[in-house]
Amino acid sequence: MQIDETLLQRLEKLSFLQIPDEHREEMIAQLSEIVAFVDNLSELSTEGVDATFAMSDTATRLREDAGSVDRTINDDILSHAPHSQDHFFIVPKIIE
Amino acid sequence: MFETIIGLEVHVQLNTQSKLFCSCPTSFNHEQNTNTCPTCLALPGALPVLNKEALRKAGMFGTAVGATINRTSFFDRKSYFYPDSPSAYQITQLYTPIVEHGTLVIDFEDGSQKTIRINRAHIEADAGKNIHEGSISKVDLNRAGTPLLEIVSEPDMRSAEEAILYLKKLHSIVRYIDISDANMQEGSFRVDVNVSIRPKGDEKLYTRVEIKNINSFRFIQRAIEIEVARQKEAWEDGVYEEEIVQETRLFDQVKQETRSMRGKEEAADYRYFPEPDLLKVIVDDAMYADICSIPELPDAKKERFVNDFAISEYHASLITADLENAHYFEEMLSLGISAKNAVTWLIVELQGRLSGGVTPSTSPISAVMLGMLVKRIEEGVISGKAAKEVLDYLLENGGDIDEVIEKLGLKQVSDTGALEALIDEILNANADKVAEYKSGKDKLFGFFVGQAMKASKGSANPNTLNEILQAKLAQ
Ligand SMILES: [Zn+2]
Repeated sequence: MQIDETLLQRLEKLSFLQIPDEHREEMIAQLSEIVAFVDNLSELSTEGVDATFAMSDTATRLREDAGSVDRTINDDILSHAPHSQDHFFIVPKIIE
Repeated sequence: MFETIIGLEVHVQLNTQSKLFCSCPTSFNHEQNTNTCPTCLALPGALPVLNKEALRKAGMFGTAVGATINRTSFFDRKSYFYPDSPSAYQITQLYTPIVEHGTLVIDFEDGSQKTIRINRAHIEADAGKNIHEGSISKVDLNRAGTPLLEIVSEPDMRSAEEAILYLKKLHSIVRYIDISDANMQEGSFRVDVNVSIRPKGDEKLYTRVEIKNINSFRFIQRAIEIEVARQKEAWEDGVYEEEIVQETRLFDQVKQETRSMRGKEEAADYRYFPEPDLLKVIVDDAMYADICSIPELPDAKKERFVNDFAISEYHASLITADLENAHYFEEMLSLGISAKNAVTWLIVELQGRLSGGVTPSTSPISAVMLGMLVKRIEEGVISGKAAKEVLDYLLENGGDIDEVIEKLGLKQVSDTGALEALIDEILNANADKVAEYKSGKDKLFGFFVGQAMKASKGSANPNTLNEILQAKLAQ
């Protein structure tokens, strides 16, 4: 997979991050290395492996359907949010 | 000639006590962000644990539509960035959903039917809500993580009418198996419509346009009709390629038009991948058995009503379309009244008097009250005509059936003694007509009935009256 300036711009958009000009080249080089490393996996033959194959045969645990909540915890979380008001999280205006 | 192609995606909120991946209550209308915890707020380190009941209810839907229930299914992660999702992704089932390949039969008014295929139904977590206020947006995450079942049909519907029939049937099924409150106004039954057109005879599917979140059956029908008209017009004007693009549009109820939701923004990139925080979902034998046994479905109930109570298909489908209505009818019957009378009084008399979205079960007349009213007619206590007055009075003022009958003076006189005295008086006063009758003028019987009815001020039980009169005149 080729990491180039176009793809980097797309990644910036998707991740809502901005890479400063002086780091762009370095970033492209590092991303290319990472992708090349992960690409090693393509050497594995997956012929005959079911699409639903999973690393673990254990089923995910199920929880009984009983409701409970600790108000002090969400109060605490809200008080640590960058902005909150009347028990709402406040974010910059978003246009629907 | 064009053909309309419609596919529907319905998000049904599963009526569990707790959220899909945490124990927070799912209750509606609580103070903002009080039903939240580290898991549904996506704090680092908090892990999802699947709600067993959500899985069971999703499976029950599969049984209801004769679908394949995947004994092994998986969750996938769908990335998207918006403040209604603190994790910046939604946990859903893209590659292997719990339910696949079902069918739903819709019934047309003329008795014909059509089978609509259901592609899949998958479990996913709902998002929170945002309120926009000036330069800020307020975020309430009470709904974040609530279990949804997304039910996706094949593009099998060919008109707005078929789409509505499908939705009503789907709504009915969901209520019958009690997996959701399915309240459109409260957002627990949300409909997205995919619409495209093509020249009749063409096999290919053209560009589909999605219309989102329309909250009543009536508006859905309207939105489809308007969108179809827009696409046809573009085609006929030769601007189909330019004007009809794959996009999401909103239906504007006031302006009666559909409107593009986003500009020429590039298509979202959800970057789906298997959800690393959850292992595979396995429906074990015990749960599978549980999933396979579901309550009676609307079609089965309808058939049973037709067979057991000898009521018409049409009436049976009217009554069974809505679960509350069906229960209402069954409760009326438990008073031992005839099904035929129960149908008339429920559909014609009571429903005919209700308006503004009021249903029998939300009206001031309970099933027992209406059943009792019918019982009083059958017992000969009041006439059918008088019962209508009682019903009007009860709708207006409420009260006890027998007390109202008494109060309005509508009780029929079935007391033979009183009726006999009254009839004797009439016969004595009309001795000449009695003689004529006895000499063969049978038609005069009606005259005597009329006189007696009049004398009783209409309160005489007609059957009793007839019997006595016949006996007396035969003497
Ligand atoms: Zn929670």
